[in-house]
Amino acid sequence: MPYPFMLRTVFAKTIRDQRRALLWWSLGFVGTVLLYSAFWPTIRENASQFNDYIAKLPEAVRNLIGGDYGTAQGYVQAEMFSLLLPVLLLVYAIGAGARAIAGEEESGTLDLLLSTPIRRSRVLLDKLWAMVGASLMLATLAWVSIVAIGRPFGLTVGLVNLAAAAVNLLLLGVVFGSIALAVGSTTGTKAMAIGVTSGLALVTFIVRTLAPSVPAIKPLRLLSPFFYYADHKPFSNGFNGGDVAVLSGIAVVAALVALVAFDRRDLAA
Amino acid sequence: MGDVIVVEGLTKSYGAERGVIDLSFAVAPGEVFGYLGPNGAGKTTTIRTLLDFIRPTAGRARIFDLDSTVGSIEIHRRTGYLPGELALYERMTAADYLTHFAALRGGVDWGDVRRLAERLDLRLATRIRSLSHGNKQKVGLVQAFMHRPELLVLDEPTTGLDPLVQQEFHTMIAEARLGGSTVFLSSHVMPEVERLCDRVGIIREGRLVAVEDVGDLKARAIRTLDIRFARPVPGEAFAGLPGVQRIEVQGDLVHLTVAGHLDAVVKAAARYEVVDITSNEPTLEQVFLTFYGEGENKDR
Repeated sequence: MPYPFMLRTVFAKTIRDQRRALLWWSLGFVGTVLLYSAFWPTIRENASQFNDYIAKLPEAVRNLIGGDYGTAQGYVQAEMFSLLLPVLLLVYAIGAGARAIAGEEESGTLDLLLSTPIRRSRVLLDKLWAMVGASLMLATLAWVSIVAIGRPFGLTVGLVNLAAAAVNLLLLGVVFGSIALAVGSTTGTKAMAIGVTSGLALVTFIVRTLAPSVPAIKPLRLLSPFFYYADHKPFSNGFNGGDVAVLSGIAVVAALVALVAFDRRDLAA
Repeated sequence: MGDVIVVEGLTKSYGAERGVIDLSFAVAPGEVFGYLGPNGAGKTTTIRTLLDFIRPTAGRARIFDLDSTVGSIEIHRRTGYLPGELALYERMTAADYLTHFAALRGGVDWGDVRRLAERLDLRLATRIRSLSHGNKQKVGLVQAFMHRPELLVLDEPTTGLDPLVQQEFHTMIAEARLGGSTVFLSSHVMPEVERLCDRVGIIREGRLVAVEDVGDLKARAIRTLDIRFARPVPGEAFAGLPGVQRIEVQGDLVHLTVAGHLDAVVKAAARYEVVDITSNEPTLEQVFLTFYGEGENKDR
């Protein structure tokens, strides 16, 4: 009997397990884009009022929104990329990273999986790639749907700058997904992995948002992944190699921590 | 050919919790080795160390002459494992689950899987979530046997199996042994070990207290005998017979505790009119008493 592709490896089986969930995530991404694209014609007509309103907001909030409602790219940046899409992707990636090892360990299925001639590191990497692959799919879907759905509503954004923003979005998701994987692989506790990583995401998000207006913590913004995600304004400036490198670097370090910790540890029965 | 499993001074401690202490034993090729002990004695800890899910605090285990930690992948390739607390991917069908594991093992003869499922009367198309405990156990067994492993490591394999399936399982063990496989099987019930195993290691509170031939164990085992006579019989009729340790008379019923062979007792009883004899299989506690005597405090 030939082995169906989706059952052949831990990577494929992990994706297979998520197939229904990923369908819903995809619908969520496309739905978000559709909703905000539909608002665009109205917003554009009243752009000056929105900008006046934003100008009156505290600096931290302005910094969070970061967009100019008078331009399509400013609108996409402010409405989709400043909060909604990152939150959606982080929720997915943190969940996937936490479930990868800790979830299997807690449900007791890890023993049998590792009784096969597959190395612990192989299992972990397969699950990491599944998380990265699904995040890539969602980030790509964001790009594609903004291009395809936005256009009829007159929401046209530079394809390259949009791609730069989508790449940062992907990397942001992978950073926190890998951290959740590392915490889960070290502790074997899914709740701990989700809790610690979500807390870390929240704190670094707040630091990045407040830092520009609070001199005491201004240098700390460099420690926040959200700084590398947004502060060089991909919608105006396109790709930033430094940001890509820093975000990738954090993810790689987290993955290495996960590998080393998981390989050395006693597994819970 | 050397021993398939060699355990030398193996110790696993978990802080204050019980682990296993200084275990040493060996299992020969083709042997069915029983690992007998009450729940919590350290059977699962030993097995999970053999399979490298946990690492020894001291000592080591070698399987197929490979270190259990360094050589774990090669060991896993040649070993079939059934965990004590079986957890499967509930959302998959049994067929998909076994297909996935067959693929992870680099392929197995699917005919073997079908034959095993048929023998155990397992319907492969069913989603695992909706299988009964006993049927899930069958999926675990098929998974352990399907690649014809040289070594089977089975942690309490008959838990939840109905008697008919247990019978089939016993046949499977016998066949695996005929095919040259070695079996390491843990259990907390004496009769199962007696029935299946050549030798038995007895573990108690983390320590291996004895490794015995099952034949010797049976010969030494203590059992209780209830003999009902047609009319009351004096207890003295059994006093001083070889192996008799305790006599209690209740009307026409005589309770005896006997170590080893029953020959002398049965012959003594035969002098009276016997209505019924019940021999109770020795419990684990009674087996332990053989090794420790009455002074040992009870585990449960």
